[in-house]
Amino acid sequence: MSTEMDFKALWNKQAPTNIPDTKELLAKAGKLKKAARNKLIGLNLVLISTVAFITYIGFNIDNEHITTKIGIVLIAIAIVSYLAASNQIMPLLFKTNLQTSSQEYLNQLIRIKRKHEFLNKVMINIYFVLLAAGMFLYMLQFAIRMSVFWAIFWYVVTFAWIAFSWFYLRPRGIKKKQKPLNEMIARLEEVNGQLNS
Amino acid sequence: MVFDDIYKTYWNKVFRICMGYVNDHDWAKDIAQETFVTVWQQLPKFRNESAIGTWIFRIASNQCLRQIERQNRMPRSEMPEQIADHKEPDKEPQMQFLYKCIAELPETDRLIISLELEDVKQAEIAKIVGLSETNIRVKVHRIKERLAKKFENYEH
Repeated sequence: MSTEMDFKALWNKQAPTNIPDTKELLAKAGKLKKAARNKLIGLNLVLISTVAFITYIGFNIDNEHITTKIGIVLIAIAIVSYLAASNQIMPLLFKTNLQTSSQEYLNQLIRIKRKHEFLNKVMINIYFVLLAAGMFLYMLQFAIRMSVFWAIFWYVVTFAWIAFSWFYLRPRGIKKKQKPLNEMIARLEEVNGQLNS
Repeated sequence: MVFDDIYKTYWNKVFRICMGYVNDHDWAKDIAQETFVTVWQQLPKFRNESAIGTWIFRIASNQCLRQIERQNRMPRSEMPEQIADHKEPDKEPQMQFLYKCIAELPETDRLIISLELEDVKQAEIAKIVGLSETNIRVKVHRIKERLAKKFENYEH
């Protein structure tokens, strides 16, 4: 069993497996397409209803100050851009071409994961900046009505919270998202390395 | 070439290559089906720049490599034995052992040896994998040596 012919002979002794019906195959293709479309529809609904909800609440509760409205819009943009980037734009940017050589394919996957990692970081930062700015503007209206002491107190508490999320929650969020990506990159690089060994 | 003919000609080859990669009957069938879904979708754009076989094997190999992203699926070789051995009773023990040995190789080596055993020319394997022909020849030689060693221990 040690000559090369024997392996091929053994391999070729395998009984052919049943070929699944082409109908089953095409049904599978259809199912994949449908699942992708439903996911897209679902995400769009979530996006639209989020914006509708925030603007509705925002513009109905108070319409005295322009700063409040800008604040609400910023918060809405923060949420929507984050959701849109992570759920819709990224998958579009990250399409792969299966028709290349394995080496090129692995390189594609690694490049995509790196881009993904970078975009994640950028998007989380944008999200936090917009959210903090939005909250600052939104609260102006309430702060104006308060006494100086309470207004200052109110802003100190809020910015303490924003600082907490920027220096603690944000890095944690980034790390949590990066960890599986980094592991995947390491794994893909390892497989790619096999080709050069 | 019409899709139906391609499908009939290549199903078994593609399935066996996938089987070499994952050593799991159902999983291999899934990957083979995904391969043919891609073939079906891309066939109208296929321009004969390479042989159709090379093209199909490239898609199949990349569909296999793509499984790295779906790590939550546990390879059969890592499952507890009583679950792992529940199917494929008709397969010869020697053949099962060959698949097991291949499954223990690094990912890209699994693809290279499966293609080689499937009688794909080494020049074609080079094009599929993206290495030089010399490189492939050396790799095939090394892999066969490793397999032979495992079989020696198995038989004695």
